[in-house]
Amino acid sequence: MWEVNVLEKTIYIRMRNRVQTKPEERVLLKDVAQIIAPDAVLSSLKEMLVHLVTDMDRNIIVIDVMHIIQLITTKFGDMEVQTIGPAQTIIEVTNKKKGISIPFFLLIWFLLFFGSAMAIMNFHDDVSMKSVQEKIYTIITGKNEAKPLLFQIPYSIGLGLGMILFFNHFFKKRLNDEPSPLEVEMFNYQMDLDNYVIIHENKESMKRVNDD
Amino acid sequence: MTIKIVSIIFLGLASGLAVGSGFVAFLTVLGIIPRLTQLTKTMKMIQHYEWAVVIGAISGVLASLRDPLLPISAYFLIPLGISGGVFVGMLAAALTEVLNVLPILAKRIRLDGEIVILIMAIVLGKIFGSIFQWLYFVHIK
Repeated sequence: MWEVNVLEKTIYIRMRNRVQTKPEERVLLKDVAQIIAPDAVLSSLKEMLVHLVTDMDRNIIVIDVMHIIQLITTKFGDMEVQTIGPAQTIIEVTNKKKGISIPFFLLIWFLLFFGSAMAIMNFHDDVSMKSVQEKIYTIITGKNEAKPLLFQIPYSIGLGLGMILFFNHFFKKRLNDEPSPLEVEMFNYQMDLDNYVIIHENKESMKRVNDD
Repeated sequence: MTIKIVSIIFLGLASGLAVGSGFVAFLTVLGIIPRLTQLTKTMKMIQHYEWAVVIGAISGVLASLRDPLLPISAYFLIPLGISGGVFVGMLAAALTEVLNVLPILAKRIRLDGEIVILIMAIVLGKIFGSIFQWLYFVHIK
């Protein structure tokens, strides 16, 4: 009997990692967390107001699980709260859905294009690629050739192929289902940003004991 | 005399050891071989890949130090060119990735989802730069 009672009075909360909202929106508990709770309280828990996004907020808000527990215990005093998973949710306020600015994009695209073209030329010069290629030509054919194009053109195409192979993208089409190293890198970068935000934007997690 | 020969052999061995281990370490850090095995699902063959690298490096050494000649058809150059290019391309891609430039750039211009377009810029830039160099640039005096 007692065990059933405990079970019925427990609320399980799992905070989500990242949530996006619009400005001036009411952030409800069901937006920031997954909830398992007795049916009697579940619907009112889901609709519980956690944060009201105002102009005062910057575009990142961190909701700590302690804040949620406090809200729940003031409303349902006799319920026990169990938390699972991350200890906070990052709310990202997406101001007026900014799109990609085309001139900016073209600029970066050209920057990367020309930059990598120049980088590979510098690399070739640096490692005396030309004399190596002429030597390979001589080894294979026995003749001297100032323009070993038969080697150089396949080499140039292979260069691009190798990069695509490494990033696992055949432009839009994938070679297999694994994420490419770049996608993993993007993910890691996002995780690092999130970690920074969790520590720095959360007033509770950085507190000076001796503020003098 | 014997002392001289022995010390020269020792020095040669030592410098070869340093360069060889440096080369392997470089390949390992950039993770090209794991990447290739992952793409082709041939993890079990990884020892043979190691030997491929070692034998390749040694034949490179022989080719550059001894100037051998094997007069065969020039069309053997095409597969050699492609494989050499793929290798250098993977090196370049791995280096780009190590420097972590693309994630930051993509985030700055809010292009997180379409990062392929940025990779395309780099890939096409490399191909263009390379072909331009061999067809035109090296002949400007």
